[in-house]
Amino acid sequence: MALPDLRQLEQGDADAWDEAFRWLWPVAFEAARLKLSPFLPADVEDVAIESLEELVEKVREVGLTEELRPLLASIAHHRAVSRLREHFAAKRGGGQTTSLEAMTHEDGAAFDPPDEGAPLAELDQKELASVLRELQHEMKAEQRAIMNDFFLQGLSYEEIANKRQVAIGSVGVYLKRGLGAMQRLGARHPKLLKELEAFLR
Amino acid sequence: MNSMNDERFFDLAMKVIARQATAAESAELQAALVKEPARKAELAQWQAQAGLVREVLPLVNATEAPAGELPAYARGRLQTKVRETLGRPPAQARKLHWAWRWSLVLAPATAAVVLLGVFLARPAQPVFQVAMLDITGQTRGSETNEVVLLAQHWTAAAVQNFGRSSDLEAWEKAWPAGKAPSVKVAYDRAAGEVRVMGRWRGRDFQKTFLVEHDLASTLKEADVFIQQQTK
Repeated sequence: MALPDLRQLEQGDADAWDEAFRWLWPVAFEAARLKLSPFLPADVEDVAIESLEELVEKVREVGLTEELRPLLASIAHHRAVSRLREHFAAKRGGGQTTSLEAMTHEDGAAFDPPDEGAPLAELDQKELASVLRELQHEMKAEQRAIMNDFFLQGLSYEEIANKRQVAIGSVGVYLKRGLGAMQRLGARHPKLLKELEAFLR
Repeated sequence: MNSMNDERFFDLAMKVIARQATAAESAELQAALVKEPARKAELAQWQAQAGLVREVLPLVNATEAPAGELPAYARGRLQTKVRETLGRPPAQARKLHWAWRWSLVLAPATAAVVLLGVFLARPAQPVFQVAMLDITGQTRGSETNEVVLLAQHWTAAAVQNFGRSSDLEAWEKAWPAGKAPSVKVAYDRAAGEVRVMGRWRGRDFQKTFLVEHDLASTLKEADVFIQQQTK
């Protein structure tokens, strides 16, 4: 799919926006889903649409079409975190005492408590968008795939080596380089590292 | 006793951070930290970086999700937002600008012609044009209730189907030559609205009707409005 023409979008061209919405929708949906699906799954679509509306307002602040997706992911992330905060504040205010720890996935595994104080939420939208763009460029595809396998999918070194057809000794090297990229990112965005350290404390 | 090499220390640290370490591996890492306390800072740094990975990487992945269809109901809402926020494309605005200049030049002459037309020939019925925008794919005419409904209301007009917003916009702007009385009815399926535009006795009128309950009742409302405007 060809990238939407930013100039046409800035001018309000309806066809260009139709194409752009198809291109952008999965980003907004996925970024909202990441935060909301355990607690407010019914709100995911709504937050995704609101995020696209906000992106329309900000399209003239963007320099390149490629910046739209990271900015949208950032907007959707912030909106989802706000929605969670409102939800849990209302619950506390309303005296409801549903135990979050008591909530479980369909498979019976317990949910993690909601990370309402998530470090990324403390970055402003533009800075978070910039972090996402930098990571896209800095981390090579294979490096990112192995980071995903290990930190997000929970695969072991052996499983990753089999899946990616790399030597088992190389898995650690990929991870070390990936963490190195994170370290450089943190150095460029000290607020991010500071918030993260506070979050992990 | 030799100190643990960097590679082994890193691999053990990763396993502990990812909660994949066996009891023996955890004990080996603890022993290494007791022997070389300076490495605690290194471990803490990796823990922070791993936390960052867990936070940021899913969002980076989200930015690369393949394109997909957004819900039909959302399209209308989003296109309305585009119109409200960004307005019409400049090409269309320029056309309007030129049209306005020409109207200043031609206004007296046009007014005279219109007045003459009003006295000489009062049209009994406007010409109706009806169109439908269906961006999810051209709807098959005879099998579609909505097309049938539109055709039933304005029997003299053939219902035109458009798959692109720009085609419908162009159709909405293309009026018969002269000031012939005419009415356009455009049904934007995804936006859930029926737009009526008309020219009658030298006067323009237009109104948008949202399809709140069903198309049939909305078309009736539109029809009543047209009849009021073309009395």
